Amino acid sequence: MSTETLPRTVERSLWANRLRSLLTQENIVTIIVSLIVGAAVILPLITLFISSFKVLDPLGWDTTWGFGNYVTLFTDRIIPKAFVNTLIISSGSTILATVLGVSLAWINARTNCPGRDYLEPYNLIPFFLSPFIGAIAWHNLGEPQTGLLNVWAREIFGFEGALMNIDTIWGVVWVTGIFFAPLVYLFVVGSLRRMDPSLEDSARTTGAGLVRTTMTVTLPLVMPGILSGAIIVFVTSAGEFGVPFKLSAPYGWETLTTQIFSKAVGDDANHFLGATMAMSLGIITVFLIWIQQRYIAPRSFTTVTGKGFRPNVLDLGQWRWVAFGYNLSFIFVAVILPIACLIIVSLHPVWTGKIVPEAMTFNNYVKTLFFWREDSIQAATNGIVNSLILAFGGSTIAMVMALVVSYMIHRTKGFGVRLLDFLSVVPIGFPGIVLAMGVLVTYIQTPIYATLWILMLAYITRFFPYGQRNISAIMMAISEELDQSSRMAGASWFTTLWRITIPLLKPGIFAGWILLFIIFLRELSISIILFSTGTETLSVGVYYLTNFENEPLTAALSMAQTVVLLIAIYVFRRVAGREALTA
Amino acid sequence: MDSETQSGTYLEVQNLVKWFGDDPAVDNISFGIPKGAFLTLLGPSGCGKTTTLMSIAGLHSIDSGRIRVGDVVYTSPKEGLFLPPEKRDIGMVFQSYAIWPHMTVTQNVAYPLEIRKVPQSEIDDRVADVLELVGLTDMAEKMATQLSGGQQQRASLARAIVAQPRLLLFDEPLSNLDLKLREQMRVELKRIQNEVGITSIYVTHDQSEALVMSDEIIVMSKGHIEQRGGPLEIYSRPVNEYVSNFIGVANLIKGRVTQVTEPGRGTVQITDHGKDIQVACNLGPGISEGSDAVLSVRPENVHAERENGDGASLEGEVLQAIFLGSHVDCRVQWGDFEWKVIAHPRAHLKAGEKVYLRLDPEHTLAVQP
Ligand SMILES: Nc1ncnc2c1ncn2[C@@H]1O[C@H](COP(=O)(O)OP(=O)(O)O)[C@@H](O)[C@H]1O
Ligand SMILES: [Mg+2]
Repeated sequence: MSTETLPRTVERSLWANRLRSLLTQENIVTIIVSLIVGAAVILPLITLFISSFKVLDPLGWDTTWGFGNYVTLFTDRIIPKAFVNTLIISSGSTILATVLGVSLAWINARTNCPGRDYLEPYNLIPFFLSPFIGAIAWHNLGEPQTGLLNVWAREIFGFEGALMNIDTIWGVVWVTGIFFAPLVYLFVVGSLRRMDPSLEDSARTTGAGLVRTTMTVTLPLVMPGILSGAIIVFVTSAGEFGVPFKLSAPYGWETLTTQIFSKAVGDDANHFLGATMAMSLGIITVFLIWIQQRYIAPRSFTTVTGKGFRPNVLDLGQWRWVAFGYNLSFIFVAVILPIACLIIVSLHPVWTGKIVPEAMTFNNYVKTLFFWREDSIQAATNGIVNSLILAFGGSTIAMVMALVVSYMIHRTKGFGVRLLDFLSVVPIGFPGIVLAMGVLVTYIQTPIYATLWILMLAYITRFFPYGQRNISAIMMAISEELDQSSRMAGASWFTTLWRITIPLLKPGIFAGWILLFIIFLRELSISIILFSTGTETLSVGVYYLTNFENEPLTAALSMAQTVVLLIAIYVFRRVAGREALTA
Repeated sequence: MDSETQSGTYLEVQNLVKWFGDDPAVDNISFGIPKGAFLTLLGPSGCGKTTTLMSIAGLHSIDSGRIRVGDVVYTSPKEGLFLPPEKRDIGMVFQSYAIWPHMTVTQNVAYPLEIRKVPQSEIDDRVADVLELVGLTDMAEKMATQLSGGQQQRASLARAIVAQPRLLLFDEPLSNLDLKLREQMRVELKRIQNEVGITSIYVTHDQSEALVMSDEIIVMSKGHIEQRGGPLEIYSRPVNEYVSNFIGVANLIKGRVTQVTEPGRGTVQITDHGKDIQVACNLGPGISEGSDAVLSVRPENVHAERENGDGASLEGEVLQAIFLGSHVDCRVQWGDFEWKVIAHPRAHLKAGEKVYLRLDPEHTLAVQP
C-alpha cells in the first residue's frame, strides 16, 4: 500500500501543517462563495444606506451629508402621495388576492368541484406570467375609448360611455390582485390538502353547517398560511413597478416604485433621493418579511397533522357547479382574456378598439422579433437576446451558488453558516427595484455599469434564494451519510459533490433552474433601473415599445414573452410535479 | 507493508477529545488494536461511540488527541495534521446503509475502485467476487432502491470491503433490521470479516451483539472508557457497577470490604435490617480493605435452597417464579432488595415460599461502585 505518499509526522512546521489541513476543496469553495454572497448582498444595501444621507445641492453638482433627503420625502409635492398610493394599491391587491387565492385553494383542495385536477395548473399560470404584460393587456381591454370590453359594451349592449376605466389606481389593484392570487393559493393549498379531515368532520357532527365549519374550523387552521401569503402579496405589490407604471402613473397616480424609477433615470434624476425612497420602502418590506419568516411561517406546520391523510372532500351538491363556474371565471379573466386581447391587438397595424380582420398582419412580430432584419426595432430585439443570455447564464450561475450555499447550510457546521443562512433570506425582503437602486449606486462608477454583468449580478443576488429553497428542501430529506460514504470510499469533496450530491439533488436543481429562468425572462423592476442602450431586456423592450411606439407592437413582443414563459411553465410542471411549489 | 504489524498496535487512538458546544462528547479516550482484530465499542445511546468512529474516519475534526493507523498519522491537532477522509483508506458501513439510490448495486460497489482508478476489467472481477462473498450476485444489476433492508446492508458491506481498506468501521449496522435478520447477519458479518481479515471497529449499543461478535469489547459511558476486555472477561469480571449492570443481568448490592484474605479475595459486609452479613467473594481491581464496594452476582450464580445449609445463606421469600422450560426465572425478596435468581426447574419454587439464597464465592465479585 502506498503509505509513502501520505504525510507522516515529518519536520514540516506546525503552521504549514495547519494551513494545509485548512486548505481543503470544501473550505476553499465555501469561503469563496460566502464572500461572493456576502459582498453581493451586503454591499448594495450598505451603499444604499450611505447614499441616502448624501444630499444633492440645487445645481446638481455636489453633495453634502445630511438628512435632507428624508425631509424631502415628506415635503415633496409628489412623494407623500406616492406613499399613500402605494399603500392603497398594496392593501387593495392584498385583499383581492387573498379572497381569490383562499377561495380557489379551498375549492381545489377541499371540495368536489368538477374537474379540479385540470383546473389547478391554470389557476397558477398568472404566477409565472408578467404582471406588467397583464397590465398592458388589461389596458387594451379596459381603456375607456379603445378598450375592447368598453367597445363591446357599447356596440353589443348599447352601453353609454365606458363600462370601466382600467387606467386608475383601482385598475392597478385589479390587475395586481388577480396576478398575485396564485401566491396566496400556493401558501394555503398545501396545508388544506394535508389537513386532517376529522377536524372538520367533528365540527360538523356538532351540528355546525358547511359555511360555519369552513369559517370556524377550516380557515382558522390554515390562517398562518393565509397570513404568510397575504404579507408576501403586500410586499410584492409594494415593489411592483410595471403595473402602476402602465396603468396609474401616466394618469396622476404615482407610486413609490414609479418615483424611484424617475429618480433613477428620469430627467430629474437624483440617485440619492432615489436611494432614500428605496431605503424607506426596503425598511418596510424587510420588517414585514421578518415578521412573516420569524413568527408566521414556523406556525404553519403546527396546525396541520402529518402526512398520510387522504382527506375526503366536501360534497357541495349543486353548488359545485357554482364553484366550477367561479374557478373558470378566474381563469378566463386572469389568463384567457388578457392573452386573447394581446393576440388580437398584436395582429393589427394600428389599434383603434375595432377588430378589422382584413387588416390583420404579422408585421408587428416581424419588426419586434426578427433581429436580423434592417427594419427591426433594436430595443425589442436586443431585449430578446439579452434576456435569453441572462435567463440561461443567470439561472445557471445562481443555481451553482444556491447549491453551494445549501450545502454549507445543511452539511457543514462551521462558523459563518448562520450568517450565510441569514444572508440568503435577506434578499427576499427587498423588492427588486430597491436592490437595483443599491446596485446602481454601488457600481455606477465601475466598469460593470452599463454591461449585462450588472444586470446579472442584481438578478442573481435578488433571486438565488428561490433556487436555494428548491435545493434545500431536497437536501434536508436526503441523509448526510450518502455523502459521507462517498468520502469514505475515497472520493474527494468535489468528486462527491459531482457524483453523489448533485445527481441526488437533480430534481430540485432543475426545478429551481426553471423557476429562475422564468423569473429572469420576465424581470422588469431591476432591469428598468440598471439597463442602458444595448442592454435592454425583454421587459424593458416592452416598456420601450409601450412608451415610444404603439400598442400593437407592444402586444406582439408581450405575446412573444408570454409564449416562452408558457413553454417554461409547462416544462416546470413536468419536471417539478404538483407539489413543487405548494408550501 | 506496514512496519508495526509486528510491534502490535495497528490503529492507535490517543487521548481523543471531541467537544460539541459546551459538552465533551468524547472525553480523553485511548485505545489501540492489532492488525486484523475485531474490536467493539459498546455503550448506551449518546455515550460517544459514533463520535469516536467519525473522528477515526475524519468526518469531523477533533479537539485534541492523536489517531494513527500503521505509520500514518490521521489526525493530530497538536501537530496540525488532519488527513481528509478520502485519503484515510477506510471502509465504513453506516446505520442507514447509505446505499446510493441513483445507482445499481454494481455501480455502488464499484465506486471505491473507480475512484482509485482500478482498470475496468479488474473492477468487474473484484465486484463479482465481493458480491458473491456477501451473497448478492443475483442482485448485481438491480437499482439500490429495489433491495430489502438486509440486502442493502450486504451491498453496503460489499462497498466497504471491495477496495480492501486498512480499516473497517461499522456504526450500528444491524440496528435497523428485524430481530431474526439481525441474529443471522451477526454471524455472517463476522464470517466475512474473518475471511477478508480487515482490522475492524464495530459500534453497537446491543450487548448481546457485542458478546457474540467481538474479539474484544470496549465498554463506554458518557465519553469515557469503562472497561476493555474479551467478551468472557467483561461478562464475568466487570470492573465496576456500571459495566456489570450494562452487560447481562446482575444483582448489585452495596457493601464495604472488611477483609482481604489473599490477593484478589476477601469478604464484603452487607446489611440486612441492621444485621451485618459477611460474604466471601472475589475482589475486582481497585478494591482494598475498608473501601466501599458493590457486590455483583449473576442470577445463574445465586442458588435458591429450601434448607439453610451452612447457616451463611440469605433468607428471603419467593415473589415470583416463571417457568421457562430449561430454567425458572425467580424474584426473591430479601429485606428491601429483590434478587434475580435462575433456579433449576426441579427445585419447584413457588411464589410465597421461604428460601435461602447461597452465593458461590467463586462467582461473587466485589467491584467499584
Ligand atoms: N453534530 C453534533 N452536534 C452536537 N452534538 C452532537 C453531535 N453529534 C453528537 N453530539 C452529542 O454528542 C454526544 C455523543 O453522541 P454520539 O457519539 O452520536 O453517541 P452514540 O453514537 O454513542 O449514540 C451526544 O450527547 C450527542 O448529543
Ligand atoms: Mg451513534
